[in-house]
Amino acid sequence: MIRKNFTLVKFLFSFLFLFASTYATLAQDAAEGETLFKNNCAACHSSGDDVLVGPGLKGIGERRPIEWIVKWVHNPQAVIASGDKYANDLYNKFNKAAMTPYPNFTEGQIKSIVAYIDASNAAPAAPAAGAAPAGAAAPAAAASSGGMMEVLLVGLLVIMVFVLIALLSIVSTLSKLAGGEADAEAPLMKRIAENAKKLAANSAVKTGIIIFALLLGGKATIDAAYGVGIHQGYAPEQPIKFSHKLHAGQYQINCNYCHTGVYEGKGANVPSANICMNCHNAIKRESPEIQKIYQALEKDEPIQWVRVHNLPDLAYFNHSQHTNVGNLECKNCHGEIEKMEVVEQRSTLTMGWCIDCHRNTDVNAKGNAYYDKLVEVHNKDSKTPLKVQNIGGLECSKCHY
Amino acid sequence: MLNPRYQFVLFAGLALGLLSSCSDDHNDTGTEFAPNMYHSVAYEPMTQTDGDTNTINPYGMNMRQPVAGTIARSKFTGNDSLQKELLHQDLISRTIPNDSITYSAAALKNPLAATPENIEAGKLQYERYCQHCHGETGKGDGLVAKMYKGVPVYSSDALKTLNDGHIYHVITHGKGRMWPHGSQITSANRWKIVLYVHELQKQ
Repeated sequence: MIRKNFTLVKFLFSFLFLFASTYATLAQDAAEGETLFKNNCAACHSSGDDVLVGPGLKGIGERRPIEWIVKWVHNPQAVIASGDKYANDLYNKFNKAAMTPYPNFTEGQIKSIVAYIDASNAAPAAPAAGAAPAGAAAPAAAASSGGMMEVLLVGLLVIMVFVLIALLSIVSTLSKLAGGEADAEAPLMKRIAENAKKLAANSAVKTGIIIFALLLGGKATIDAAYGVGIHQGYAPEQPIKFSHKLHAGQYQINCNYCHTGVYEGKGANVPSANICMNCHNAIKRESPEIQKIYQALEKDEPIQWVRVHNLPDLAYFNHSQHTNVGNLECKNCHGEIEKMEVVEQRSTLTMGWCIDCHRNTDVNAKGNAYYDKLVEVHNKDSKTPLKVQNIGGLECSKCHY
Repeated sequence: MLNPRYQFVLFAGLALGLLSSCSDDHNDTGTEFAPNMYHSVAYEPMTQTDGDTNTINPYGMNMRQPVAGTIARSKFTGNDSLQKELLHQDLISRTIPNDSITYSAAALKNPLAATPENIEAGKLQYERYCQHCHGETGKGDGLVAKMYKGVPVYSSDALKTLNDGHIYHVITHGKGRMWPHGSQITSANRWKIVLYVHELQKQ
């Protein structure tokens, strides 16, 4: 009897111990599972219920028994070949693409991956939800900063009008006090008009006004003449509202990823739709702007982007010469593209602008054997470093031919 | 002399006009002097000229796709053995179908040696073409990966042993969720990236 009781106690104790130990290791399992999952599974599977390459794994622990999962992870092909219905349905659903086998995973490791998947789904998606409104608020604030300026200007104008009215009323009160009853009866506007008439009759004032007008007119004419052929500030509306601020700024995608020619050739290239699709086959598919890319691809029609930087045909320019050899950064000429919602031409692209830079910029001769002899010869006669102007950067025929 | 009321209206109108004139039309390039010196007579790539659009090609395009199955040999100029080997590997790679990754893994060999200079050059190309998804250290944690999802870790057990040909094939033709990048990156640069990815596999 005693003996029997003892076994029962032992059994109960061992059960309790087992229970406690599993409970304690649960958190540890999930942490181990997270590393394993991110390293090995996350390329094809989401821990949620969305399909990436393979099915989302949310609730996999309830969907399939753990023995089946272990067998499947160790050798999916064998499970399919054994005629398992669930495995075959899955195989056919995903166009007969089998999962990579992971025979080295222990049963414990697979269990901890499942523990991680359960834990990640149990945890509320608070950080994600918190991030979304913050992200949404940022562009709104940026957009309003442009509007702010206008509101400020209109506000100032209104204040100025009020000040004018106040000053006029003060003047009228003062003149009432000074001029007595008779003058006060004449309306204010009439008196101002009379004074203006007297002023206009003065020859010195007349001459002054004419000279002032001539100067203003002359400056406006010269400014307009200098602006001929300069596209600075040109920011055309594009067929798709592509934002460089989002792509190059927020997501820090390198310029070269889309502008494939910028280190290789004369032109930087505007990307074709297949480059957009590298990301937008999955990201923001339902956006009406992204839908325009899909339509262009379906109709096999080019997207007619509007070229922003149009250098006159009379001047030759080569990107690779400046970016690859000269090691200049894009923003050197294009400005802070990563902050532009709509791209605009920031530099003047005039000859004076080119020449200025050629006079001031040192040749990027370091590690380039082509320049070794030139630097040597230059350093014999000169103490200043080799500038672009010293290697023909100011010669007419370098750019005009 | 004008009615004083009109004078005020005139003044206000002038002030408003001056203020609004600060923002000009962003869709207009402005006046051009001698436009026939500005716009190329020959068809330049990626240019649009009003009134002189290309009538030969569809949609007024100035560029056409190369004839299917042809290779621009000018990309492999030079007589040195490296250029020859690059061309050789490119020709082999082009005969391998997109879905035959094991062929590439077996047949292709990196023409570039894993010298510190080449690895450094590979890092530069990696930063330009890969980093925004695959992350700085190849952990699949780039800024774009957070939106795109499913970017693998190079140093994981399944990936850390992948060889030159396999990686080159994935860059060229894509694999799983990744789409082909062969049209964007020259083959020499792809081989440089392969060298740097090997470094990241060790991390």
